[in-house]
Amino acid sequence: MALSSGAGSGNSGTYTPEITETLRFEEEIQSLMGVNLIPPGFECSPPVNAGSSSFTALLGLQPNQAVELLHELDPAPSPAIAAGASFRPFGCSPTFPSNAPLIERATRLSVFATADGSPEGSSAIPSNSEGDHSPYPKSEPPDSDSKPRRPAKRKEADKSSKAKSLTKKGKCFPGDDDGDSLANLDADKLPYVHVRARRGQATDSHSLAERARREKINARMKLLQELVPGCSKISGTALVLDEIINHVQSLQRQVEILSMRLAAVNPRIDFTGLDNLFTAECGRAGPGPGWTDGVIRRNQQQHHHHHYEHQQPIWHVDHQQQQQQQETAGWERDETPLHHHVFISGSSSGSPPGTSLFGCDSAASALPLSSQLKSEI
Amino acid sequence: MISSPCSTSAAGRKKPRTYFRSPPESKWRSGSQQLIYRRRLFDALRVARSGGGRSAISSRDIKNAADSALALTAQAQTRWSRALLFGCCSRRKVLLKAAGKIRRRRPPRPARKFGGNASPEPNPMLKGKKVTDRLCVLSRIVPGCQKLSAPCLLEEAADYVAALELQVKTMRALADALCASSLSSPSRESAPSTAGDCDEFAS
Repeated sequence: MALSSGAGSGNSGTYTPEITETLRFEEEIQSLMGVNLIPPGFECSPPVNAGSSSFTALLGLQPNQAVELLHELDPAPSPAIAAGASFRPFGCSPTFPSNAPLIERATRLSVFATADGSPEGSSAIPSNSEGDHSPYPKSEPPDSDSKPRRPAKRKEADKSSKAKSLTKKGKCFPGDDDGDSLANLDADKLPYVHVRARRGQATDSHSLAERARREKINARMKLLQELVPGCSKISGTALVLDEIINHVQSLQRQVEILSMRLAAVNPRIDFTGLDNLFTAECGRAGPGPGWTDGVIRRNQQQHHHHHYEHQQPIWHVDHQQQQQQQETAGWERDETPLHHHVFISGSSSGSPPGTSLFGCDSAASALPLSSQLKSEI
Repeated sequence: MISSPCSTSAAGRKKPRTYFRSPPESKWRSGSQQLIYRRRLFDALRVARSGGGRSAISSRDIKNAADSALALTAQAQTRWSRALLFGCCSRRKVLLKAAGKIRRRRPPRPARKFGGNASPEPNPMLKGKKVTDRLCVLSRIVPGCQKLSAPCLLEEAADYVAALELQVKTMRALADALCASSLSSPSRESAPSTAGDCDEFAS
């Protein structure tokens, strides 16, 4: 293409490093324009990660300008700078005969893309990733090291670091034409190198996609490891999965046992009125010392009052939460909280099966259920 | 939740897409979620109670009610919750698919052809046989997760684990409260043997 020819023509001794980088740049742009695949962590073209469409739009916006830029890299520095100045983000320094301007340009480009993609922070995540945690770098510090670091680094606008890494890249680039060694660097999860390592793999979209998938899976695994107690020390996917499976099974067994307990306890207790009490109770840290008295008092009150459950749909949780808060606030005073609620007796609650959300046994109830689900979601 | 694929509009292009993907811990461990689940659990139990007022309440009913309450609290955004809710229905598949469409509002990206590996086997080249077996087992344990790819499966599992923890905690608190209340009100006990029942389970 004209790019490569233009780049090749201007080859002079002092510009060799830049030219190689330029060539890489061109290749990447070409590959990206051609493939339209967004390789993850592709730092030099980060808007890609934010969305393929966005990147192509970006490319479409400035493809000729990119070509111009690369062309003008060769003949003279100043026109390149002038052309660079036409870019929105590009404010290149006039000193050309060194790596710096190219680096600056690249950093500007990435900064520009950062400005685009920074809210998502999903720099290194492929757009097809299903909700990686990179958008929440602050909320998930324990999550995979790579991901929070990448958006954090980009948001810091670490131009110097990028410059450093680019020079690193420039040095190690002639040695590593395949992506694998750089990919190994990536696997180390060093904050600087692993992001830049992607550049070496630019043309190998398959390995990039592979790496993206692997990282996705590793991220999820890490999340699971944190969730399941005792898994953080275990190394090795199979053992961790073992632990997770055991944990899930034990939790399910506990649920079964607890449901048996509840079934055994239930027939003896008049269930309707006590729920509020236990709701209030569970809202606290645990059963307090005096709440059993409150239980007895409530039981006694049940005889005096008829508690009618207000047949509100379960979707209106906020209302219920307010009620519960009122309960917890005033449950010591027996009379007051009860007047906040209007309870329909338990017998009548069974009457509208359509609104009961647990009538899965009938198709009729399933339909309003699904419609309610849809309305809620 | 719809991500706008429009190109150069910068802020928040990805944010709406990933909003529903909050990490399972923070989602399920928030106090509001606990309250929500508790309320739903109570309602479910009450309904089950009133529905089965004539017959004795089996533990399975309670378990189903608790699971449904949990799935509702999850707002049916995950596969397992939908499977739990619609598992009993005859029109399960239709409902599951419909619910799937509700969730996935983002347009399928063209890059999916490389990134998405929808086969049930995650990546046998990279992962050994053991890991694949474990993933199969996990897919059987977590409801509604057959034939899921590895990252989806792991995500569902994480959410499921967090939800189960909440469920266990709530049910245990409820059972303890009920047991203790039945113990503390001696006038209610029909026979001392039933109190022994509660103690048995409590131990």
